[in-house]
Amino acid sequence: MKKIGPPVDRVDGPLKVTGGARYAAEVPVARVAHAVLVLSTIARGRITGMDTGKAERAPGVLAVITHKNAMHLPPQPTRETRASQGDHVLQLLQDDHVLYNRQPIAIVVADTFERAQHAAHLVAVRYEAAPVDVDLLRTRTAARAPHPPYHGTVAQTLPVESRRGDVAAALAAAAVRVEEVYTIPAETHNPMEPHATIAVWHGPTHLTVYDSTQGVFEDQRKLAASLGLPRENVRVISHYIGGGFGTKGAVWSHVPLAAMAAQKVGRPVKLVLSRPQMFGPVGARPQIEQRVVIGAGRDGVLAAIRHEGRSSVSQFDQFCEHFTAPTRALYKCPNLDTTERVVSLDIATPCQMRAPGEVTGTFALESALDELAVKLAIDPLELRLRNYAETDPETGRPWSSKSLRQCYQTAAEKFGWSRKKPQPRSMVDGKLLVGWGMATATYPANVRPASAIATLFADGTALVRAGTQDIGTGTYTVMTQVAADALGLPVEKVRFELGDTDMPETPTSGGSCTAASVGSAVHQACLGAREKLARLGNGGGADPSVDEPFAAQLARHGMKRIEARYDAKQLETRDRYAMRAFGAQFVEVRVDPELGEVRVSRAVGAFAAGRILNAKTARSQLLGGMIWGISMALHENTVYDPKLGRIMNNDLSEYLVPVNLDIPAIDVLFVPEDDPYVNEIGVKGVGEIGITGMAAAVANAVYHATGRRIRDLPITLDKLL
Amino acid sequence: MIAAADLTVQRPRTLKQALQLLRDASAENQPLTPMAGGTDLFVTLNMGQRPSARYLDLWAIEKLRGVEATGKRGLVFGALATYTDCIESKAVHKRLPILVDAARQVGGVQIQNRGTLAGNIENGSPAADGVPVLMAADATVVLRSIDGERRVPLAAYYHGYRKTERRADELIVAVEVEVPDGTQRFDKVGTRAAQAISKVVMAAVGHRLAFGSVAPTVVRARALEAYVEAGGRDVAEAQRLALEDARPIDDVRSTAEYRRRVVANLVAAWLGGLDKPPRTR
Repeated sequence: MKKIGPPVDRVDGPLKVTGGARYAAEVPVARVAHAVLVLSTIARGRITGMDTGKAERAPGVLAVITHKNAMHLPPQPTRETRASQGDHVLQLLQDDHVLYNRQPIAIVVADTFERAQHAAHLVAVRYEAAPVDVDLLRTRTAARAPHPPYHGTVAQTLPVESRRGDVAAALAAAAVRVEEVYTIPAETHNPMEPHATIAVWHGPTHLTVYDSTQGVFEDQRKLAASLGLPRENVRVISHYIGGGFGTKGAVWSHVPLAAMAAQKVGRPVKLVLSRPQMFGPVGARPQIEQRVVIGAGRDGVLAAIRHEGRSSVSQFDQFCEHFTAPTRALYKCPNLDTTERVVSLDIATPCQMRAPGEVTGTFALESALDELAVKLAIDPLELRLRNYAETDPETGRPWSSKSLRQCYQTAAEKFGWSRKKPQPRSMVDGKLLVGWGMATATYPANVRPASAIATLFADGTALVRAGTQDIGTGTYTVMTQVAADALGLPVEKVRFELGDTDMPETPTSGGSCTAASVGSAVHQACLGAREKLARLGNGGGADPSVDEPFAAQLARHGMKRIEARYDAKQLETRDRYAMRAFGAQFVEVRVDPELGEVRVSRAVGAFAAGRILNAKTARSQLLGGMIWGISMALHENTVYDPKLGRIMNNDLSEYLVPVNLDIPAIDVLFVPEDDPYVNEIGVKGVGEIGITGMAAAVANAVYHATGRRIRDLPITLDKLL
Repeated sequence: MIAAADLTVQRPRTLKQALQLLRDASAENQPLTPMAGGTDLFVTLNMGQRPSARYLDLWAIEKLRGVEATGKRGLVFGALATYTDCIESKAVHKRLPILVDAARQVGGVQIQNRGTLAGNIENGSPAADGVPVLMAADATVVLRSIDGERRVPLAAYYHGYRKTERRADELIVAVEVEVPDGTQRFDKVGTRAAQAISKVVMAAVGHRLAFGSVAPTVVRARALEAYVEAGGRDVAEAQRLALEDARPIDDVRSTAEYRRRVVANLVAAWLGGLDKPPRTR
């Protein structure tokens, strides 16, 4: 596998830096009209009146669509009947209810974007507002069990409760106990490219949509179901995506609304969300409160863990962050109770955000373990090694591969962990307090069914197609490498195409599953094409030479092309092995004791995630994850007005993420790992693991620097003075 | 959102034209809002708010551009002097280096290229980064109308939250500074390392001290200055006096309690360095 692994430059890089790569909103479509959403300013209640006259009379306006004149849609799924993780209950102008702040309540279409934007501002809305309940930590609403899991095509949900052993007895008998509560505010996805959709009707029953989406097939299904069309009548195309991070893994209201608007005005319609519109109608990480109770012996060996918590959800839909998932898998512990609950609030439905559950759960668990290490005066790394899980603690199955020990060792060595002075406030740099912290990273090795078609041509080139998406991760590049490797061709001779429901079906790009799932299909399809060629024989003569170029073989048989398709499924090894990627995060912070300012001055992450397809794009994924972990630890916070339910910081001036100056040089280290069981190409996925553990590592470093344990993210300056 | 068609924008080429337009508009009771780089204005327009429908775009008036050094310690900033102009000016580096520190921390390079000191002053945000520096340096705002000119100390320029001394027919044409002696210090406290709206800003020139983000306007710490001027060096007393002028509130960006503590800590740090020789560049 010599094409696999090297840091090949992005094959789409030149197009991206020259503007040649066309993102959804840039696809040229004749006669395209422009739509702008009007969002609710209240968070709960009814629309009692809408004055659209001014907007309708404004120059260039083609239509103002509200619940009064929107096309009547077939019955939509409810939270009880929804089909999959991406199948959200949408707000498609079918009634006068307002369920959350910044809900789409009208759509204005005009001949130019500016005119649509202007007219949208002229729509006057009257409401009957009801009292709101938006804050998980202040609400009096009781937590409840999440709705029964649905079994969709995108992902299986995990059990919301698990039990092993006798936690109560083990906690009562434990020599040492840690019990703490950790909270995380709502965080809002902000990919560089906001959501963008162009809807083009071909007659009344056929629709093409150019969308910025993590899942063209999910998009297709949801559009078809929402609008009452057969699935095959809807084509979704998504060639380039400027980041998704989970918000584009689900289909939100604006996508069917764009199609409804296009039908209304009889022209193609383009709808691009503004940056402020990314806050509210397109998902967010839920607010989460977690309680972790750990019992251990004086030697640090874990006796019991109870991990329970609640996360926010909307009043009308379902979503549950499986924040206890990492706790069930990370450490050897005979007694374990986990419980996940949700609280319905007057907010928009939360959704997946990079490493859902794993990142939030590791913040709580890895912080609590640090607290245990402090209590026992055991080095935090040593504590983790004493509880190393040689097999999956939940199922007892062997790991398909696990190199966490090497990750700890590699990262600790690079970081210089052995030089740590254990006492808080014992390391200084001038007037600044220096702190070191570490945490474990983990993410499941997901694989979902995926298909691909490989075609070899007589000119010696190959075309490989799969409907999948490149959300910025490098799918174009790594799939080209996987195909080139399987075909024995140079990378330049292979073209990989994606992002189209007319191509073979693949999963939504979420759960770090694309490289493994689509990669397996591509690999097998290419081997299949080779095999087909080989089966043609050598004109009845000697064995066909595998070294003979395709072009020559095809020419000899008088063929222009040969094609093979492969439908990859999960391997049966899934039933025998537990499969996860692991890593170790080490962080150094500097804290100004007079001002409370925290700056991360160093970070080292080492990861073992099976075969690395491309050292450059994989590093970028892990680096991006680690940076986002710093952001989660120190910056991100969607602030709701507790009385009005409004999001108060709906732009990047007030919703803070780090700037370049906040991010130090970060070391990303790969621990080589050969996994013959996980899938055909031995890949575990690197899209999400980089963020996991990071917030805990920062919080643990802040504790070491200052002696103050911050359990409520983000760790802002005021919490440290 | 605002349609461009709804806005009146006048673009005079000369200062005289500008002053005449201001006078005429003011006489008709339809005042023009002067704009320079537009870095504050465009944010509000983009949020769907419209502070005014009528603007006087000063960007073409060449005469108002640039920074000039006068005498041994003087600096004159034209009404269109940008943060980039400050960063690139040798005289500013030499005479008022903390203004360079402040200018470097205002937004990104694009904002520094368009944003002006005069606009920063007139916009009246209590969280302005440049204004505390100028106020601590005893800057004077030069206001001109078609009838003539008047000079107002920056420290007396604000009447309340975003309320300034300027009459509707007047324009800030320059900001003058005769940089006082003494150690200079600039502290901007924020959640992230750059491009952050300040939680607290402190600027000091000698015994003169100004704070941002702790009151409805940028403020001078008069009580503390008088104490220090008279030789007072007690830290606790200095901190108490600073909080007579710095009266922060809770808001979406921080808490009053945090800001009070930071003000106190910054004052302690400032006091500690006050009698040391001034820094050189």
